[in-house]
Amino acid sequence: MKTLLEVQNLKKHFKTPKGMLHAVDGVSFKINERQTLGVVGESGCGKSTLGRTIVHLTPRTSGKIIFDGQDISKVDGGALKKLRPQMQMIFQDPYASLNPRMSVFQTISEPLIINQRVDNKQELIKKVTRLMETVGLSHKLANAYPHELDGGRRQRIGVARALALNPRFIVCDEPVSALDVSIQAQILNLMQDLQEELGLTYLFITHDLSVVKHISDHILVMYMGKMVEYTSAKNVFKNRYHPYTKALLAAVPIPKVGGKKERVILKGEITSPVNPKPGCRFASRCAYATDICLIEEPKFEVVQADHFVACHHVKTINAL
Amino acid sequence: MREKLLEIKNLSVIYSTEGKIVEAVNHISLDLYKGEAIGLIGETGAGKTTTALSVLNLIPNPPGKIISGEILFEGENILEMDHKNLRKMRGNKISMIFQDPMTALNPVMTVGDQIAEVVRLHDKASRKDAFIKAQQMLETVGIPGNRMHDYPHQFSGGMKQRVVIAISLACNPALLIADEPTTALDVTIQEQVLELMETLQKDFNTSLLLITHDLGVVAEVCKRVAIMYAGEIVEQGTLEQVYNHTAHPYTVGLFNSIPNFHEDVRRLKPIVGQMPDPAALPKGCHFAARCPDVMDKCLEKSPPIINLNDEHTVKCYKYVGQEGAE
Amino acid sequence: MSENVIKIKHRNASMLRGVLIRLLRNKAAIIGLVIILVLIFSAIFAEVVSPYAYDEQNLRDRFLAPSTAHIFGTDSYGRDIFSRIVFGSRTSLMVGAIAVTISSIIGTFLGAISGYYGNRVDNIIMRFIDVMLAIPNILLAISIAATLGPGIVNVMIAVGISSVPGYARLVRASVMSIREQEFIEAARSIGASDFRIIMRHILPNCFAPIIVQATMSVAIAILSAAALSFLGLGVQPPTPEWGSMLSDGRSYIRDYWWVVTFPGLAIMATVFAFNLFGDGLRDALDPRLKQ
Repeated sequence: MKTLLEVQNLKKHFKTPKGMLHAVDGVSFKINERQTLGVVGESGCGKSTLGRTIVHLTPRTSGKIIFDGQDISKVDGGALKKLRPQMQMIFQDPYASLNPRMSVFQTISEPLIINQRVDNKQELIKKVTRLMETVGLSHKLANAYPHELDGGRRQRIGVARALALNPRFIVCDEPVSALDVSIQAQILNLMQDLQEELGLTYLFITHDLSVVKHISDHILVMYMGKMVEYTSAKNVFKNRYHPYTKALLAAVPIPKVGGKKERVILKGEITSPVNPKPGCRFASRCAYATDICLIEEPKFEVVQADHFVACHHVKTINAL
Repeated sequence: MREKLLEIKNLSVIYSTEGKIVEAVNHISLDLYKGEAIGLIGETGAGKTTTALSVLNLIPNPPGKIISGEILFEGENILEMDHKNLRKMRGNKISMIFQDPMTALNPVMTVGDQIAEVVRLHDKASRKDAFIKAQQMLETVGIPGNRMHDYPHQFSGGMKQRVVIAISLACNPALLIADEPTTALDVTIQEQVLELMETLQKDFNTSLLLITHDLGVVAEVCKRVAIMYAGEIVEQGTLEQVYNHTAHPYTVGLFNSIPNFHEDVRRLKPIVGQMPDPAALPKGCHFAARCPDVMDKCLEKSPPIINLNDEHTVKCYKYVGQEGAE
Repeated sequence: MSENVIKIKHRNASMLRGVLIRLLRNKAAIIGLVIILVLIFSAIFAEVVSPYAYDEQNLRDRFLAPSTAHIFGTDSYGRDIFSRIVFGSRTSLMVGAIAVTISSIIGTFLGAISGYYGNRVDNIIMRFIDVMLAIPNILLAISIAATLGPGIVNVMIAVGISSVPGYARLVRASVMSIREQEFIEAARSIGASDFRIIMRHILPNCFAPIIVQATMSVAIAILSAAALSFLGLGVQPPTPEWGSMLSDGRSYIRDYWWVVTFPGLAIMATVFAFNLFGDGLRDALDPRLKQ
């Protein structure tokens, strides 16, 4: 399988009045073609920033981004314009991600017009019609405006817009988080079907662990800008090694009677990624932390086949 | 012995805007017992928040109007109370936690002041006593008492929600209504807050009406469940009954829509279509257009509420003739 | 199968209809609108509406009190005041319209650049605007008019420029809030240029406050023009202009009250009408956002 996207030690820092915000602090991974990498974490972990940095919506601070074998870390101007169609994004908020003054037709046709993908109006109408069909939007809605539609339909417009330029890679930033459960399922199925039909590669960002397992091949767990665990989706639910991953998965409410026998409460608050202290970022909340955790940052290393963890005590905690 | 605390009987609420009538809630009935937690589950537009606001008679009028029903709290009909008694009750006997902790707190008052405010309003306490109480409440929700003089923006989302809980429980209400209290929070913080709510509920013997769309959260906290769809309660019962003996097709659909990480499901089974426009509800069963088990009569007339056993009820034609079957 | 049945309807027809309906329900706004329409009508058809020419002097009939022959009376040259007011509406409305056009275009441009790019550009432009705001509107208009010299065109320029800060600030604030919305990021992700983003995505979403501001500022423009003419800096005689009519009639308030009163009432009615309409417009445009 070919690697489509590779990220090496990517960092994105923001200057804030209080200090330097380490939003993404050294993330590396590879995604193979036609696969999905689920990036999971809570607020402040940097997953959204990671997505935006990869598609060049915000410039990186340091590190490499390699797309289809080419180093695209520093592209801008004309080269960026050529790159954009290949890497698209689906946004989280179906209400804020559409221009309220543009009809469905106008929103979906815009990428085609900007990138001169059509020669005349007929062709444009044909392409937009086909895109609407692909995402399950009725023809009748072509002239509708976002405020007339519900969240699920609006999100389909977002998907259609992302597909318009025939991208190979799509960053999905919490695409179903704002939707009702029954609509979520519809959109998730749609995205899976599209991946199969069109050979898409996804970076799927979410905080919802049940969604991520469903759609991902691999999962990357992030905490405060750092990677803490990476393994296949099936594996993370059987063998989670990092204390944060354990707590994260244990925290998910289970829709079953007597689903949870006991709670694993993580003490403390999610600490701020501004001017982070040395050592492991998770140490202040970790039940297994020792002195070394406060001084030295754990390396993100292989623990088993296709399973990486950043924790000083990973072997002892999990009896490996 | 279980004592009834709240009885919602045949409640209907409409909103009229720009010539349209939105039927937000249609003839719902729900009972809540003392010291008990009941989950009201539904998706956007089902009418859950409207129901919650009705209990406190907080429906903005205009454009909203409660057009039928009674809400009996400790025997008295809330909908017929005069303003003075209503105000005495709100925050005191019945408290509400709204969804967004980010905007629920006044940004220019310290958290201590905000907790003290509710104490002084209802318990007529002196400033000093109110502050002592405020400090106690902060400690109760797991925030160091010395943070009383901090402002909301100095707290994280989870802590803000805890402050909101502190305010709502300060006067030891008999009933706490929580509208999606943890939806905006991260999952590990949600755990903390749910644990807190459960503990407080037991310690203070507060009844809880928990409104959410999350079936997992309800399973953790509630003993009874009511499922709302398009303004109606389509199924009601104990947690065990509704989760393990799911009756209504909508509830079944909900369970099938959730990606469940304990099973390896290749494709989810979403419910086709979407909730009907509450300003143009169809004749007959509101769920008929999306129901895999729809029959002709479902489109004609609204189904009756069938009693499957004395606690488990369902509003569906499929179960006619099965009264007491469980 | 795909029958290309998409018929593209061009603008927000349904939204516009909603705004109009809400507007027409507002009685105050209708009153304002009616008065404005009457003004526009009389400005266009001034020759037809007015019984006399605006410069028809009749020294025998000076200072005639209001009567059937001269419903508003005559002034110090025997000219019919009613006719002069009717012709004056042409001047006032023209000044109002053009001044507002100048200020809204310049102000929007500055505000958009400032709000979109931020940082140094924003700083420079806003400091410049701050300086302008530090000077009272009228004084600013007076200084510009005095520099440019008398005449109606210069009045329009002066009034126009002095109103730029209001628009600039308004548009800047609007742009800054819209700039953060996801659909702007989305536009960038599909390759839209800054220019396209500002023109197609940001500004169309700012229209509501700009339109309301424009309606209100027509009133201010008319007042400012009147003030300038009152001071002799604007329109030159014999061109009728309400402000200069006030100035001419100043000394005669005691004995011949009508020379001053009717032009004053005209100004008042016009400003009132535009304000009423502007308020109604703001209310009509707002609820759409609350959906």
